[in-house]
This record gives sequence, C-alpha cells and structure tokens, in this order.
Amino acid sequence: MQSDGRYFGKMNVPTGNVLRYVSGAEIESLDPQVSDGQPDARIFMALYEGLVEYDPKTLQPIPELAKSWEAGPRVDEFIFHLRDNAKWSDGSPITANDFVYSMRRGFQPDTLSRTANLGYVVKYAEAFNGGKVFVKKGDQFLLAKDFGGAEEAPAAPFGPETEFRKFIRSPERLTLPGDEKKRAKAIDANPQLKAAVDGAEFVPVTANDIGIEAVDRYTVRITLRQSAPYFLGLLAHQFFRLVPQQAISKYGRQWTRPENIVTCGPFRLKEYKRYDKLIVERDPNYWDAANVHLDRIEFYPVEELTTIVNLYKAGDVDAFLNHSVLAAWIDSIRKYKDEYMLFPEAAVSYYGINVTKPPFDNLKVRRAFDLAVDRVALSEYRKITQPLFDITPNKVFPDYDKARDKVGEEIRNEKKLTPDQWKNYFGFDPDQARKLLTEAGYPVQKNGDTYSCPSFPIDKVQLTFNTGESNKAIAEFVQSQWRQNLGITVPLQNMEFKTFLAFKDELQYPGFSQLLWSGDYMDPNTFLGLFYGQHNNGDTGWYDPKYDKMLDDANSELDPQKRYEMMARAEYYALDNCIIVPLTINATNWMKRPYVKGMYPNPGTLHPWKFVYIEHDPAKWDHDVQNIMDETDPIVAAELQQIKRTQQPTGPAE
Amino acid sequence: MAWLVVTLTWGLIRIAPGNFYSGEKKLPAAVEANIRAKYGLDKPWYTQYGMLMSNVVRGDFGDSLKNPDYSVNEMIAEHLPYSATIGVLAYILALVLGISAGTVAALKQNSGFDYGSMSAAILGLSVPNFVLGPLLVLVLSFWLYLLPPARWGGPSALIMPVVTLGVIYAAYIARLTRAGMLEILRSDYIRTARAKGLSETSVILRHAMRGGLIPVVSFTGPALAALLGGTVVVEKVFALPGLGNIFIQAVLNRDETVVLGIVAFLSILIMIFNLIVDVSYGFLDPRIRFE
Repeated sequence: MQSDGRYFGKMNVPTGNVLRYVSGAEIESLDPQVSDGQPDARIFMALYEGLVEYDPKTLQPIPELAKSWEAGPRVDEFIFHLRDNAKWSDGSPITANDFVYSMRRGFQPDTLSRTANLGYVVKYAEAFNGGKVFVKKGDQFLLAKDFGGAEEAPAAPFGPETEFRKFIRSPERLTLPGDEKKRAKAIDANPQLKAAVDGAEFVPVTANDIGIEAVDRYTVRITLRQSAPYFLGLLAHQFFRLVPQQAISKYGRQWTRPENIVTCGPFRLKEYKRYDKLIVERDPNYWDAANVHLDRIEFYPVEELTTIVNLYKAGDVDAFLNHSVLAAWIDSIRKYKDEYMLFPEAAVSYYGINVTKPPFDNLKVRRAFDLAVDRVALSEYRKITQPLFDITPNKVFPDYDKARDKVGEEIRNEKKLTPDQWKNYFGFDPDQARKLLTEAGYPVQKNGDTYSCPSFPIDKVQLTFNTGESNKAIAEFVQSQWRQNLGITVPLQNMEFKTFLAFKDELQYPGFSQLLWSGDYMDPNTFLGLFYGQHNNGDTGWYDPKYDKMLDDANSELDPQKRYEMMARAEYYALDNCIIVPLTINATNWMKRPYVKGMYPNPGTLHPWKFVYIEHDPAKWDHDVQNIMDETDPIVAAELQQIKRTQQPTGPAE
Repeated sequence: MAWLVVTLTWGLIRIAPGNFYSGEKKLPAAVEANIRAKYGLDKPWYTQYGMLMSNVVRGDFGDSLKNPDYSVNEMIAEHLPYSATIGVLAYILALVLGISAGTVAALKQNSGFDYGSMSAAILGLSVPNFVLGPLLVLVLSFWLYLLPPARWGGPSALIMPVVTLGVIYAAYIARLTRAGMLEILRSDYIRTARAKGLSETSVILRHAMRGGLIPVVSFTGPALAALLGGTVVVEKVFALPGLGNIFIQAVLNRDETVVLGIVAFLSILIMIFNLIVDVSYGFLDPRIRFE
C-alpha cells in the first residue's frame, strides 16, 4: 500500500452534513424488537428511541423520552417521567401508553422477539412470553412462595397506589407451563403441587399482567420480579425502544415496509434498498430535532472486511463498524493516529470446556490446559486484542475492577498463596500445568527441550471453532502452546457457523469449543450470567446452583460497590471450577475520518447518532484519537448537559 | 426437472445442521417454540414437504425466513435486475471483444495479432475472477483513484465488475470464434462467395459469420449458466446487491424459502436459455433448420 501522508488513502471532505457509514451485515428487519444483530442495533438507534439512551462515551443511561426517573427503595421498581413534547414521525404524540404497548407487544409470543429475554426481569414478562398460566382456585391464585419461591417483604409505597399496583405488588403468583403435556409433567413431579391444583382453573398470563403500567399520560411505572440495579442500563437496548401502535395494528407484519413505517428516533427512513443502502434523514417531528446535527446518514451494508477498508481508503465512506481491519493490515493502519480506534470492548473470547465428557470432567485436567496457555503472547500475536484472564473483561468496568482486586486479595489470603503464586494462579504457569496433568493420571514426560504425554487420550479431545481467519489463527496458536507446554497436539476442527452452533448447543464437542461473547448491557452481570441457569449460553455443561445464588444475592444488593464485590466472589468461584480457558478481550478496531465528531470508541461501538456531526473547520478536527475519550468536545458536552438537566438523581426516593 | 432440483435442494437444506433462527446467544425456550410452531417445524418432515410443494407448484415460495417482511418472489424481483445488468453487460462485452478479436485473428492467421490475442485469451482464461477483480481494484481504485472500489453506483461503478466477469468469456469466445471462422473460411460456399466477386466485408459479415458463430452460440447456453455462478463472486468482491449475493447469504442463514425460490428460478431460467439457444441454431445454419 502506498503511504498516503497524514490520512489514510484519499479523503473526500464532505461539504454538507451527511455521514456515510458502513454498518456491516444486511439487517434482518426494521423491527427493533425482533432482530438481535449489532449492525441492526446501530440502525435502530437512529430510527427509534427509548426511555433512556446510551451516553456516547460511557454507554451509561441518559434521559431521552424519559426526562427523569426514580428508583424504588429496593431497586425493584422504577418510575419514569416522560417528556410531553415527543412525537412520532407521523406527528402523533408519544405517551406512556406507547411504552406500555411496546413492552406488551415485545413480550407477546407471536412477535417472535429474539431479545425478549433481556426483559425477563420485569415481573411476569417471562411467564407471558413463555405462554404460561396462573393457577386459580376459587377466587384465589396460588402463590409462588408456597411452592419453593422466596418470601417477599411487603412493598413500601412508591408512586400512586393504583389497582394495578395492588395486583403487581401482591405476592408473586405461581406460573405453570401453558402446554398441557409439559404442565402435567410438572404437576406429576410435585405431590404438593398436584394436591393443590386439584379443582383449580388455569388462567393464561396476559399482556396486561406484566409489570409495566402507565400511571398517567406521561408517567410509566415498571415493576421487576427482583432487584436489578443494572436494569436502567438495559433500557437503552433496542428491545425497549418504542414501536408504533398505529402502524402495527394497521399493517401487522408489513408495518416496517418503507411506505408504512412510523418511527420515533432522531432520524426517519428515507430510502431502503436491501444489500445496497439504507438512508435516514433528520426527522422534523423529533422532539429534539434542533439538536440533531446530521441531515442524513447513509448506511452501507458491506460484510467483506477488505471491501470495507477499501471503501474508506477511496474516500467513499466516512467511518465503519468495529472489527473491520484485518490483522495483517493493523501494523500499517496503526500509524494513522488520527483515525484508527483501538480500545477495549465489552466483548471477549474464551474456549469453553465440555465438562460432561471425560477426561475434562476432571478439574485438574481442565486447570492444566488452562495454565498452559500464554495469553499475553497470544494477544501480542493477534495485535488487536488484550489478554483476558477472567470471565469479565478488565478496563471496561472500572468500579468492578476495583471490587475484583479487593476480593482477589481476600481470596489469595484464603487460599494461603503468596502474591507471586497468586499472580499466575489464573494465568500462565506451565510447570504447574504439567504437574496437575501428571497428578490427574496423565504423566508429562520431558525429552530434552520438548514434552510428551503419551497416555493422554487424544481421541477424546478436539478444539472446535467456526470457520474464519482469526478463529483459525487463534486456534493454531493455542494448539502450539499446548504442544509446547504439555506435549499434547490437540486436533483442530473448524465448522460452518450454524453447524457449529448446533454442535456446541448439544454439548457434542469433546474438549474445547470457541465462545465469543459481547455484553448486552454495560454491567459485569452480562458476562457472569453466561453460566447462570441450567441451560446457559456458556455451553460447557456446567451448572451450579451455588453460583446462581451468589449472583442472585449480588443483584439484590443495593449498594453498588458491595454488589460488585459479591459478583467478584461469584466470578472467582466460577474460575475455580475452570470451565473456560479465557483468551482475549476484543478491541474495537475501526476507523473514522477526523472530520467526524461525536463518535467515540466506547466498549459497544454504539453511537447515539444525534450527537454526531461533521466538522468543517480543519483546525477542530480530531487529532491523535488515543486520547479521544479524555477530551471534551464542546458541542457534544453542551448537548449532554442540556439533556441531563432534566434528570433527577437516581436512587431510593426520599 | 425443476421439481427434481427443488426437491433435492430442499433435502440438502434440511440435512444441513443449523437453522435460520439460531445465533450465538440462545433463544429463550418459549420463543424457539413459537418460531417452530409458526413455521410448522414441529410437524413430521413429509407433512412439511407436502405443504411446501403445494405452494411451490403455484409459484408461492412464501416469505423469507430470515427477513419475514419480504416474500421470496419480491426478493428475487428486487435483486435480479442487478445481477442481470452485470451479467448481460459482461456477456455483451465478451461477445464484442471475443468475436472481433477471434474474427480478426482468423483472418490474419499466424500473424502477430493472432498470436498476441490468443495468448491474451489464454491469460484471460487462467486468471480467476476473484483474482482479477481485486487486481483491477488495486490499480484503478488505489493507484490511479479512477474508479470506486465497490458498491453499486453510476456507470463508473459498473466498469470493473463487468470487466472482471466478462473477460473469461471474451477469452473463450475469441478462441471459439477463431476456430469456427477458420473452418468456415476454408469451406466451399465461402470460396463461392469470393469467386462471385463479393467484397471481403460482405463475405465475412453476411456469409462467414453465420456459420462461424455456431460454436459461439452453442457456448452461450452453458456460458450464461456459468455467468450466473460468476456473478456470485463478483457481487461479493464488489458488494453488489445482486441475486448471487442474496443466494449466498440465504444459504449461510439457512433461509430455506429464499434458497429454494432462487434455485427454482435459476433452473427455469437456464432451461429457457437452452431452449432459445437450440432454436437459434435453426436461424444460423440452414442445414440444421430442416432436421
């Protein structure tokens, strides 16, 4: 590649206020409650709004449709005060009922939302989405606490005492599967239950039962089934953004067609040609249209990494999405310091270990393989990642990092380890690895400079990953680490993506399988939750009620720092069980032209588009973006200040 | 015939592991159950096949599984023009370049032009389109900043995809034309025409070509079919919203309805092409007409 001076390739500085952005894969649908892809999320952020939005740098919630909110005393209830001047793109006003409608519609089973589970913490949302039923005997409903559920303390007053609140704050009702066969199975399995449902009626959980209430025209109250301090951050997710009742009831599934669609975000749909471009323009009906800087955004769906960077180099686009620069080009791209973004993400990769298949049901074997991988060397080789030693990436949640360090010290003392021993306890320790493997019954022999482990059942181990350049590179690296340090050459197996998912999901893989995970919201719970519950996304076959309880207890804790410490304890508990080999923390790895402002390398690469603008004065262009997160942009700062002015302090109401 | 192709394709899709709604993050069990119920996935396979076929026979391939807001027929109609434009332009380029080069080479047999153009043809045949495309992009987009590197746009955006796609066929056609023309030019009726005193241009254009082009015509059938396949690569390299791109995505997404719809459509298209080719023999060579 030619060296092109200060900026990469050819830069066509736009004269207007139009942003051309490569958004990644073609989106699945313009319905924000249905699809779960990241490229889709970025477009939804232009078209739809929720109660809160992401802060452009920190991704913490800032007021949007809700100008302020309060949390109930146990952080299991929230009241949101909506602004009264918000409108849909067709001019009709946005009220609390719109939010209630959106939530009920999102959890409706036949909406087929793939992100509904993010809202399961809302009371009865999971039951409604799962088509479950209440059990009514006479005029009383059976209660969950009588059948193994937790005892709840009565709720303190919080907002107006309406009929709905009386219902939603009454002790949680028992729910059973809607499907007759499944229900009969559950009933037969529990004699106490069987006796109790005798003569009872099964009442389906309806949309009106979920814990979302329009208290008045501009006030929403949300009731959760347990304390969830992270809930506020969740509300910026596309699932919770408002969808137009007026269009959905009229057009059904066809409501997202360009001729029917109605939106509520800073931009409205102008043109949509699938696999070619999606153009949005500023919506004059948007409540804050005066502060939206861009006239238009052109989203280009391109997936091929080389094509993405080529388009940028030729000056045909102004910015592109994360993970787009090929590892082979990083070294030459890195020198474009005004454009290249390499920051940590809330996204990690691990190798999950199938603990249900021997010999990996033996903790020592798992520990051995884990300790034999030099993650620092791996990230040096990969160039665009940071080493990961735990489940939750560090440097992404600063307060959690502090809590984790504190708890780590406590655990070190409990285990009676010296600081040196602790340093590599969850890191790289090949000697210990060999020792553990030998103790497990597979002695490692030394032959001069190399090792061998002939007794290890090589047919019972494999490293499975889905086809892709970077996946292969990592697999080969780790394979060579294991060969070097343990004397075992683990066979590699690549698979096409969907095939791979099925293989993993059914726990068919022997040994190791790749697990890439990005957080759904900015809280460590989104990572630790991977191993929560019996059929969890961790795909390792590991499930421990003790771990689940530790997380539940942590999420009931109101003090944020104490909560983080409890979560750190849970994390170390899981790490002690060695169910994964942590590998890397992703880096953002994208570029934008220096004249694009208000766009930050936050850990989700999610850009609230109303803050983005084109700077026409070269003196004000971005320089040396390494420091971009510490610099204050006067325009963005002023806009944020104006928005946050309406917000009252969060936390327990007085 | 088309029915057989569709059935085979359906079978293959069903055998392939994975489904259209899976992702790295697990679906809530309730949602998965709802999806499976809605699409009849919980019924036995022969029932599903029956349901599918009764619709297919009426030309109804249903909605895309991955993008349920759009019907398959709509998607094909929307994206076909892009592929067709590139394909047709590429073939026209191939015909113009190939026939003229091949004819001149035949006329000036063993000259410098002949050797030169036929060597160029071999080169064109050997360089695969996924190499040629990026090479063109490197030179024309980045060394010279002349043309856009990707995406659909005005005429300037079409140049590289069309050239990338057409060059191989230009090469084939050049060689076929040359061979066909050489044979015809030696035949009796051409000697007759020359003896009659007709101008050389007239001899070539009116008499020789019709016969000399028969190999080219018979090549058209398979060429158009191969073009369809070639568009897939070119569309990927240049990020064009054509049917080939859609097809690949549909396969990777396990979007059964789209895959079946496109396969059926393409099978029928190919059969039509071959029919047209067979009919056109009759016009080109009177000897065949009366068989």
